[in-house]
Formats: sequence, structure tokens, C-alpha cells
Amino acid sequence: MKKIFILLSFSIILFADSFSVEKKIYAHIINALYPQRAAVIKVWTDDTAKLRVLQSIPRLKIVKKPQEADFLLVHKEKELQSKGLIFTTDYHTLESYKDRAIGGFYWQKGRPNILFLRQNLKKHHIKLPEDMQEYIEESL
Amino acid sequence: MKQTNKIYIFLFASIVLAIVYLFFATHTIQQKLNSNIETILIEQAKSFAKNIDDELHEHIQKDPYAELKQNPMLQEHLEGALSIIVNDFFKYVFVLYRDDAGIYRYLLDGSDEKAHFNQRMSVEKKYWDSVYKTKQPVIIKQSELENIWVTYLQPVIFDNEVKAVVAIDFSTQLPTSIYNAIEPLQNVFLYIFVAIGILVFILLYQTLLSLKNKQESITDALTQTYNRTFLRELVKGIDMSKYQIMMLDIDYFKQINDNYGHKAGDYVLKKTAQIISQQIREDDYLIRYGGEEFLLFIKKGENENTLAFKIAERIRKKIEKTPFEYEDKTMRITVSIGLTNNPEHFKTLSLAIKHADEMLYRAKREGRNKVVSHNTNNTKKEHIERKNINEMKEALEEDRIICYFQAIVNVNTNKICKYEALARMIDKDGSIVLPYLFLDTLAHTNLYNDFTKRILELVFEKIKSKKVAISVNLNFSDILDNSIYKIILDELQKHQELTKWLTIELLEYEIMQESSLIQERLLEIKSFGVQIALDDFGSGFANYSVFETLPLDILKIDGSLIKNIDTSKTSYTITHSIATLSRELGITTVAEFVHSKEVLEIVQELQIDEAQGFYLAKPSADI
Repeated sequence: MKKIFILLSFSIILFADSFSVEKKIYAHIINALYPQRAAVIKVWTDDTAKLRVLQSIPRLKIVKKPQEADFLLVHKEKELQSKGLIFTTDYHTLESYKDRAIGGFYWQKGRPNILFLRQNLKKHHIKLPEDMQEYIEESL
Repeated sequence: MKQTNKIYIFLFASIVLAIVYLFFATHTIQQKLNSNIETILIEQAKSFAKNIDDELHEHIQKDPYAELKQNPMLQEHLEGALSIIVNDFFKYVFVLYRDDAGIYRYLLDGSDEKAHFNQRMSVEKKYWDSVYKTKQPVIIKQSELENIWVTYLQPVIFDNEVKAVVAIDFSTQLPTSIYNAIEPLQNVFLYIFVAIGILVFILLYQTLLSLKNKQESITDALTQTYNRTFLRELVKGIDMSKYQIMMLDIDYFKQINDNYGHKAGDYVLKKTAQIISQQIREDDYLIRYGGEEFLLFIKKGENENTLAFKIAERIRKKIEKTPFEYEDKTMRITVSIGLTNNPEHFKTLSLAIKHADEMLYRAKREGRNKVVSHNTNNTKKEHIERKNINEMKEALEEDRIICYFQAIVNVNTNKICKYEALARMIDKDGSIVLPYLFLDTLAHTNLYNDFTKRILELVFEKIKSKKVAISVNLNFSDILDNSIYKIILDELQKHQELTKWLTIELLEYEIMQESSLIQERLLEIKSFGVQIALDDFGSGFANYSVFETLPLDILKIDGSLIKNIDTSKTSYTITHSIATLSRELGITTVAEFVHSKEVLEIVQELQIDEAQGFYLAKPSADI
């Protein structure tokens, strides 16, 4: 009986799992990028699929204009007039912003992938904690 | 009926088991299908991986990373070969290598959304590292990845060193398809299973409700003991030889109700039931038989015929010693108990119960707060059995109702001054049946009127023939009963010349109600010259108000006082007091149960006028 219910709710659980995985990863990334900052972090995104995850993370406030944002979560390449940190949700977008973006978090073949670009972290004087060092790439 | 129920239960259980079996069988089928398909796909993946490995070895000398980096055309060619494998079941096919930092990166990607050469890839590092270490293929059963069921990893070895790993991800599409195909069937079984579950729940609920209702229907609401409904059920299936019967009655219960109120009466009933319950065992049954009457079935021990008596004594003593405290009042309660030790000697259980009731009646007659047991072992069966109504009818029709007469002696003259008429029945075999075996059968029937008439006729016949004074016993209820009162008056009218020889003895133990009507009717009877005697005075409540309310000529002092008068100072003092009072009121006193010379001498000393008892004369058929 238990197995049947597990199977019946297979997709729901997976959805819940990817949601909770993403929430955990984004919260961890935000904390790593803004370790000292207790105030609200303004976030802009063009990825509507990520809105729910971002809204569930404390300290984040969604803004409508990229120029108001501290943190930009970008899915598709576009002209961005903002001094905020750019982080992508797609590997190809990350390649497009490889001179500006500090990194990206995306799903590849069903697996979650995190990647930070060293030179852009340096530009923003960001030092990642020890447990995130393994995700730093020299370049793309 | 029970057999049918068993069949239904068996059928029902079989159906439930079959459904449960089918439900789990479909699940097993699904698992087996998955397992078989997994095996087939793994075999296929192995074959594909080997082909890829062969292809790599064909085009690469020793270092896949270096050679592919140098040769994008070869990359394209090999990725083309990989993409051929990708289909609905093999979702991703790719080749990764591990760099010096331990990070896995793409060499080749045959999937639709291609990764770049040397692109970093997060993988299940533990398993991938194990391929590098063991140089053996690894199968990962994916449980956390979306849309991937199994991943097959195969090492690509050059110079006995793992240089890359071929990965083939199996899609969840196939197991999902199997599940989707079997799901409706499983759902059908699930719904049936749930429906049966609901049905079973409803049945259980109904059964519980029914049991609860049944329990309530057989339980007395006030005392929480069994009630007569339960007794009716019990009678159907009880093995009488395994039980002894106890009939218990709270003494003077009416007075408790009258003096303290009905709530106090209820409290006494509840507490009495509680005490009795504590004194009996789980195998015994306690039934509230009537108002203040309890019936007990005591399970017999082996070779233990006195068990009921012992328990009865224990109950009696416990109740006697327990103060019944209600509100600010403390009541002392006693009980009288009658026993039937061998119910199996009776034709029916109801006769055995009646016998216990008779023993209770005797306990009451003998002063209450008593256990009376009549061991039927040594008694002839025909004498134990109460007479039924047909036997009584026949006896009346065949003039087999007779009177015995016991002499009453004037203590001063030592001469017989009167006789007490005592009813007897001649059984068909000629044996003499005592009244306790037939009076209850007659009570509240029309035959009782005929019986009373017959006794009065016999008494008047004897008075006429012998010219002696005779007393006859009647109950207060007889005087109150219009039909019997009419019979009495008719007989008195018919034998007017003999009525002066007649004394009517009224039994004291009867609860007196409508005393003004009794008074009026007794005065009417007395107008015929009949003397009125009160029987058994001194047992129970020695209610002196009777001297006020009843036109008494004679007071018969209760036998339980007289028989102990030579040994009990209390009996002596009470008797002395009654004798003195009666003398003062001009009422003749009669001592009953005079069984010895010593007792007679004390009776004389107390100046009691008349005496009767076995020492003086036994009842006999003739005068």
C-alpha cells in the first residue's frame, strides 16, 4: 500500500525534491556571496521558474528592474544595465556572460551543477567559503 | 446457525485474502517486469558501451583527452556514433574523463543538448571514482535524479589505466510506462480493498454497537449487575449441575425507602451489589432479580457442596459489618439469603430458583440476616419439587387438600385450648406435601380463592364435629383482596353458629398497607365473634403501632425468640417485654416453637398464656 502511494506521488516528490534542492543551493550561494550582510538582498530574475524558489529564501526581495538589484539571476542573454552580481541558470548563458557573471547554477542531464568563475569573483572581491572552493573554474 | 456464520466468515476472509493477494501480485509483477527490463537494458547498454570502447580504441592511441582536443573532427565523428545509441530508453550517452584536480569533464556527448568538450560535469563522484579505482563497470540505481532510472558506467582503459568513463543513463520512461499500464489494475484492487476495508469497519462498528446494546440490554442500569433479560438467556444454556443458586434479599428495604427516600434506597442497592460483586468470582453470575432481590449463580468447586453457603455467609457478614453512609446518615443493612445447593435435582431451573426463594422466605421467617440452605441430597425428589398449577388443580378437585392440626395448650391449666390448622396436600402417591411446596404456586391465581375456601370449609367442619377452637392462617393481603375477603365473609355467614370458635392468624411479615381498610375489614370479621391473632410477632420490626391500628385479641410471639429463650438473654428479655406489654393491653399471648421442658417452664414463668410446639404436640391429621 505504502509503495503504491509512493509511486502515485512519484512526480510530486521529485518536484518537491528539486525545489528543496534548489532552495538549499541558492540559499547557500547567497549566504556565501553576502556573508556580512544582514539587510535585504534585492534580486532580479528573468527566469519565472525560479521566482518561487527565490521567494521562499529569507533575506531576498524580488525587484522588477535589473538596475535596482544586488543579485541578478539570468536565464537568457540580454542587455543588462546593472552593477549587481550576475549569476546564470543556464550554462550557455554563463558562457555569454563569462566576462561579467560570477557563476551559474543549472541542471545538466538531471544533475545539479554549480560553477563559479575565478576572475569575476576577484573583480567583485568575493571570497567563497572552503566548501565552495571546488566549484571554482579558472575559465570557460 | 453458528455453522452458517463460520461459512460466511470463511468465504469473506477468502475473498479478502484473494484481493490482497492480487493487489500485491500486481505489484510483484510490476517489480519483476522492471527487473527484467532493467536486465535487458543493462545487457544492451553493456554491448553499446563495448562498441563505444572499441570505437575509441580504434581511433585513439593512448590519451583520449589529448587526442580528442587535437582532433575536433574525430570528436564530431565519435559523438555522432554516440548519438545513434540515444533513444527513448537510453536518455543520455556521454564520455567523461577525470582531470588532475579530480573534476570530471566531458570528452564526448552524444545527447541532444550537447555539452562542450572539457566542460565540467557534476556526477555521483563516489561511483565514478570507483570505476577509476576498480577498472570495472558500475551500475547506479538512481533514486534522486529526475527522469533517470539507472546509470551504466564502463571504464575506457588504455595501457591498463582508466582514461575515461562511458556513461549511459536509462530513462524512467519505461518503468513509468509499466507502472502506468499496471496502475489501473492496481487501482481496481486498491478500491476493492478499500471498499472491503470500509465494509469490515462498518461491520465491526455495527457488531460493537450491537454488543454494546446487548450488554446494556442485559445489564441493570442502577446496580450494573445482570438483569432478568440475561437470566432468560442464561436459563437456555446453563448446566445446572455446575452451579449453586443463591437468592438474596435486603432486609427491611421498604423501610429504607420510606425513612430515607428512594435515592438512599438506590444507594443501598448499588452498594449492596458492589459488595456482593467483590465477594464472588468471575465465573459466578450476579443478577438483580427484583426490587431488592439478587440472584446468584455460584460455580461449584469439585466435591464442594458448601461453597455457596460459605460465599453466602461471607456476603452476609460483609454487608452486616459495612456501614452504608448516605449523605449524613449511616445505615446498617442486613440481608437474608436462601440457597439451592443442587439445582440439578430439580426438573427446571426456574423450580430450583423457586426453591432458593423458599429458603430465602424461611430465612426471613427465622429472623432475617440469615443464610438458609436446604440440602436436597437426602430428600426425596418428589418432596423437593414444587407442585405445579395442574397438580394443585387436581388436588383441589380430588379433595386432596387437607388440614393438619397442632394443639395450643393453656400454660396455666396444661390443657389444650385450641388447635392451629395447617394446610397439607396429599400427593398422588399418598405422601404428605408441606405448604411451602405449593403455596407459591397458588399465589396470585384463581385457585388460591378455591384453596382458601376449602381450608375454611375444612376448619369449620372440624369445629362442627369436634367443638374445638381452631385458628387458621391468613395473610394481610388476603384481607385486602376483595375476592378472598368475600369468601371469608361468605364462610363466616354460612357458619355463623361456629364462628366464635374461629381465630384468624395474620402473618406479621407481610408489609402492611391500607391499614384503615384492614382495620375496617378485621372489625367486620370480629363482629362474627372471630378472634384476631397476629402471628410471628417479634421477628422483623417489632412495630408496636399494630396495637393501635389492629383490633388484636391474640399475639403469637415469634418462634425464633421462644426457641432460644432458655439460652439467649436477649430473646428472654424481648419475650418478657412483649408478654408484659400484651398483658397490660389485655391481649392473650401465645408462645410458638416450644421444643423443650425448659422452654415451657420459662414461658410459664413469663406468664405467657398459651404455648404450642413439638414438645407439647406435633401437627396431626386428626384431633
